Amino acid sequence: MRVEESVLPGVGRKFMVTVRSGDRLVIVIHHSGSRELHYYERGNMDEPTAVLDLTDEEARELGAILAGVLFTPEAVGDTQTKLAQDTIEWVRLGPGAPCVGRTVKELQEQGAHLLAVLREGQALIPNPPPELSLTVGDTLVLAGPRGAVERLRKQMIG
Amino acid sequence: MHESVTAFAIATLLLGLGAALVHRWHFPPLAAYLLVGLVLGRFLNTESLEPLPSLGLLLLMFSVGLEFGPDRLQQMSGRVMRAGGWDAVALPVGILVGFLAGLDWKGALLLGGVMYVSSSAVIVKLILDLRRAANPESEVVLGVLVFEDLLITILLILVHGGSGLSFAVVVGLLGLFWLLLRLGGHWLNRQLQLLSDELVLLLGAALVSATAVLFHAAGASEAVAAFICGVLAAGLGLRERLEHLFGSVRDLGVALFFLTVGATALTLLDSVSAGVVVVFLLALLIKLPLNFKGARVAGLSVRRSTFAAAYLVPRGEFNLILGAMAMQQGYPLVGQVAVLLVLISIPLGSLLMRFMPSWYNRSK
Repeated sequence: MRVEESVLPGVGRKFMVTVRSGDRLVIVIHHSGSRELHYYERGNMDEPTAVLDLTDEEARELGAILAGVLFTPEAVGDTQTKLAQDTIEWVRLGPGAPCVGRTVKELQEQGAHLLAVLREGQALIPNPPPELSLTVGDTLVLAGPRGAVERLRKQMIG
Repeated sequence: MHESVTAFAIATLLLGLGAALVHRWHFPPLAAYLLVGLVLGRFLNTESLEPLPSLGLLLLMFSVGLEFGPDRLQQMSGRVMRAGGWDAVALPVGILVGFLAGLDWKGALLLGGVMYVSSSAVIVKLILDLRRAANPESEVVLGVLVFEDLLITILLILVHGGSGLSFAVVVGLLGLFWLLLRLGGHWLNRQLQLLSDELVLLLGAALVSATAVLFHAAGASEAVAAFICGVLAAGLGLRERLEHLFGSVRDLGVALFFLTVGATALTLLDSVSAGVVVVFLLALLIKLPLNFKGARVAGLSVRRSTFAAAYLVPRGEFNLILGAMAMQQGYPLVGQVAVLLVLISIPLGSLLMRFMPSWYNRSK
């Protein structure tokens, strides 16, 4: 996959993603937060085959789905997605995990990020706010370099 | 009640109607604002709308500075720069035309600027309204505009109205801003992050208008002052925040500004000579082959290069500033060409941008 980024003064930023099949996705992130997605089929780079407009919120939700936050395809393995040096891990908090009852703010680990919290019976909490308090049964989605994610996981479930 | 409120009500109502009408055909509203101005000019004293149109121009230049400041040059790729270079050939050509038309060097420089510069504000708005941001030609066009705005700002500082002393004041002020950014930029940035939006809005407005007053007193263009303030604010890392804060105020001011441009254009164009029309046509056409060539050099296909050349047709804020300056300094030819260019090129450019793809496909 090849990604080219460019600045569009007055408009925002443009990302041109060319995937292995040769198809291309052009993503424009506007200053207003809205996103434009243009899909170009291989061999026809002059006219997009499809165009999609997303609000900021929709784009984030779509991003979470693409990252496998809501559902991990079996082919990728059950709890880990490998992205060269980086990793995404799903951690479920059992009873007695050290971080139960603590807030997101207190979980600090250089380089590792908490992407989302899945809580049973509730909507997904993307980009959890720092004051969110963790409870038993939460599933946390962590991302970052392997070592950092591993250390953060240790902090959480001991 | 102040009489300006009545004028404001009439103006905004008609602007809104005009915008709504063209919106039905997916047509950008700027041309409609000019047209409303042309019609309304006879009945409405636009003086009574002040200071909103003047502030509109200042805020417009401020946001152009925010987005199209010289710091953007570093983010541009080499191929976009080459397109900017080809586009810049229009400047010396324009100056030459000025000399041939019998102007002195100052008038010729002003005419060169008028012929050269396209409107970043209008073109960005058109690209957004017509949803062309993802197209490859848009990137090249926007890069070319960064180039133009920088060159024209330098030209405007050089061709100012005042004496040598006032020039020194302007350059001194620029140096002071630059030093402030260099030495205290980081610290200022952190302080500004702690301030509330309202405070940033007020401080930003004060900075823009105060610098404009200073520049004006020194005999320089107040619009350049606003542009430079925008560059300064972008350097302080306030780009997104200010764009967000000033956006709607600016849009209102800009609509009224274009209305007054339309309204005052009638009297200015009462005595258009054949010479003005010739220079105007030359200005409109000269950039098309240059920009086509530039876009080709930047690696776009023939089709996309044609689009890029059409995108760069609209003239706007800088032409009006150069035109007003020329009128003030006694070059009516340059002033008339500038206003005529703005009046014709914005509707023409909007039409070209809107229908070019379907025309091009049909001719194939």
